[in-house]
Amino acid sequence: MITAGIDGGSRAVKAVVWDAAAGRVLGRALCDSGPDAAGVATACLAEACAAAGLARGDIARLTATGYARAVIPGADRRVTEITCHARGVTQLLPTARAVVEVGGQDSKVIRLDASGRVSDFAMNDRCAAGTGRFLEVVAERLGCGLAGFGALVAAACDPAAISSMCVVFAESEIIGLMAQGRRREDLAAGVVAAVAARVAALAGRGLPGPVAFTGGVARIPGFAAVLGAALGAEVIVPEAPQFTGALGAALLAVA
Amino acid sequence: MIVGIDLAHPAAAPLRRWHASGSLRLADLRFDPDPACIALWDFVLSEEDRLRAAQAAGGFIVGAMKDLGTVPVLVAAIPAARAFYPDGAWWLPCLQRHSGGQLAAADRLGIGESFCPVRALLGCYAAGSDFPTPDLDICAVGATCDDFSAVAQRLAGLGRDILWWELPAFREADPGEAVVALPDGQRAPLALAQAVERELERLRQALERATGATIDAAALARAVQAAETVRAQVRTIRQLALAAPAAPLPAVELLLVEILALHFCSDLERCRELLDRILALVQRRVAANEGVLPADAVRVLWLNPVADLRVLQWLEDDGGRLACTDFMTAQAMAPIPMDLPPLAALARTALCDRMIGSDRRRAALAVAEARTYGAEAVVVARIPGASHGCAEGPAMVRAVAGCGWPVAGIEVPTLADSAAGQIRSRLESLMETARARRTVQP
Repeated sequence: MITAGIDGGSRAVKAVVWDAAAGRVLGRALCDSGPDAAGVATACLAEACAAAGLARGDIARLTATGYARAVIPGADRRVTEITCHARGVTQLLPTARAVVEVGGQDSKVIRLDASGRVSDFAMNDRCAAGTGRFLEVVAERLGCGLAGFGALVAAACDPAAISSMCVVFAESEIIGLMAQGRRREDLAAGVVAAVAARVAALAGRGLPGPVAFTGGVARIPGFAAVLGAALGAEVIVPEAPQFTGALGAALLAVA
Repeated sequence: MIVGIDLAHPAAAPLRRWHASGSLRLADLRFDPDPACIALWDFVLSEEDRLRAAQAAGGFIVGAMKDLGTVPVLVAAIPAARAFYPDGAWWLPCLQRHSGGQLAAADRLGIGESFCPVRALLGCYAAGSDFPTPDLDICAVGATCDDFSAVAQRLAGLGRDILWWELPAFREADPGEAVVALPDGQRAPLALAQAVERELERLRQALERATGATIDAAALARAVQAAETVRAQVRTIRQLALAAPAAPLPAVELLLVEILALHFCSDLERCRELLDRILALVQRRVAANEGVLPADAVRVLWLNPVADLRVLQWLEDDGGRLACTDFMTAQAMAPIPMDLPPLAALARTALCDRMIGSDRRRAALAVAEARTYGAEAVVVARIPGASHGCAEGPAMVRAVAGCGWPVAGIEVPTLADSAAGQIRSRLESLMETARARRTVQP
């Protein structure tokens, strides 16, 4: 059976096409979110199908997840990101006992039981603190964009202490620190440390490892190590971490 | 399955006048179609009318604050007096979709959004709207919410002569210290119970002076008996509703039932009649295994009340139901010991207030009760600004984390529409997690 999963996130839409019989990903695609969530999801799925060399009609079942899950057309099932990320991680990293996902709009910490199912979860408050959007705003202010953020972090010598987690106040704080002559690299590293601390606080004490780090933010070089130090646990970034939710959705479509 | 109705349904006609007079949120809510439930809603919404009529007829109106369930029993000993809770104003901005301006008025009085939404009562006092200005204000302080104390102090600063009384912080007995049994099965130091009893005696005397009435032992005993009758009704309804395999009452209606235990909605007789009707309805539905929600709904322990009632209906929409609640009203439902002098009995029920102890103790009591109802998941609702909801919320999440159930913390603003996506995503995730655990136990 060929299935697909679409993760309609706040910043990006991800689609994965899955071959259940072969147990492998056939194709995937990522598109920027837009005002027409249904249209973007449809286009993203078409792109993933094309990457797999398939047509939309070849998809037997489709699961939608993410904030846009309610409006993604043609879904046979709609499941929350918590369940989908857990399922995706269980497929990719069966030994993982927890998942940290830093998404565009929120951060999640998911605890998994021995069978890989969700035992408990926590999500950040409704502000942007500790989310991908927070990093995006900071990266913009530092003039590097998220793509260049990792390189800045890697070149840090003396990470700055960033005390504000409100995105507006943090931006002001960073402007102030830049005016004091602090290096961009140290500011970027300071922000990563601050977000990691925020996620660790969300996780609480005793988060079991290994911890799978998913979401687009996990691709920032060096972030996983900082997060591991903050959590006090081994942190592993699975392959294509931004697609974990969509993969989980595709896997759940099989059932 | 019994399907809820909206305001446009003919059966909901008695409620449309409240919508027309400003309770705009009613148009977004769903109602149990049974006439008893519609009457329950109507009774709660019409309290202002009863209070104003009573005051106009020369009755004495007491604004009781923060004790939630104790002072109204004392006041019930005076035939011409009625007590209500200005605290209840915290629901008005939601019901009126902010059109009443209570919170804006509180802002202007220096009590902004960093305080509990109960600050809406300041707006009501300032404008003389939504409830009549009480003839006497009585406010519990001590172990009650810090921000509520601030709100009440601001009210005092506006010239209200508030009669303060102390509800002390709960503590465990020291080794060898004399203890008393509380109606909720806990034990408390005798000294603590005696301190509360002394405070209640002080209130009794103050009420006598203010009203000119005599509140003797016989009058108190009658009031306590009447209050206990209401509490027993509420307890029975709640126990039946929470234990039933198919939920016989929706969450919001169950909340309204619990509210009646606080102060009888200013009409003890009508309150008892209504509760009789609701009890009969619940018994009928339970006997017929008839529910208002799917039988496989996830059973949820819900901690803290929500300012926006719609959130409780989102839980139901997303596949959940109430299995147990801590809406901060446990003390109002605690059985009043009838074998004790009235004030001693009332003091012991006041100490059943879970908010006067630590969040760990409160969580433990709620979890213990929830286990008896087969809870599968926990929702900790945080109230923005409220010391017992905002600051305590994360602590409560940690405190219940060891219970073995998945826990979701949600922050519920006065109008939750802007946070609907995030709140519902958490609730849906919680339902999925709890359902998955039905097949695989850790």
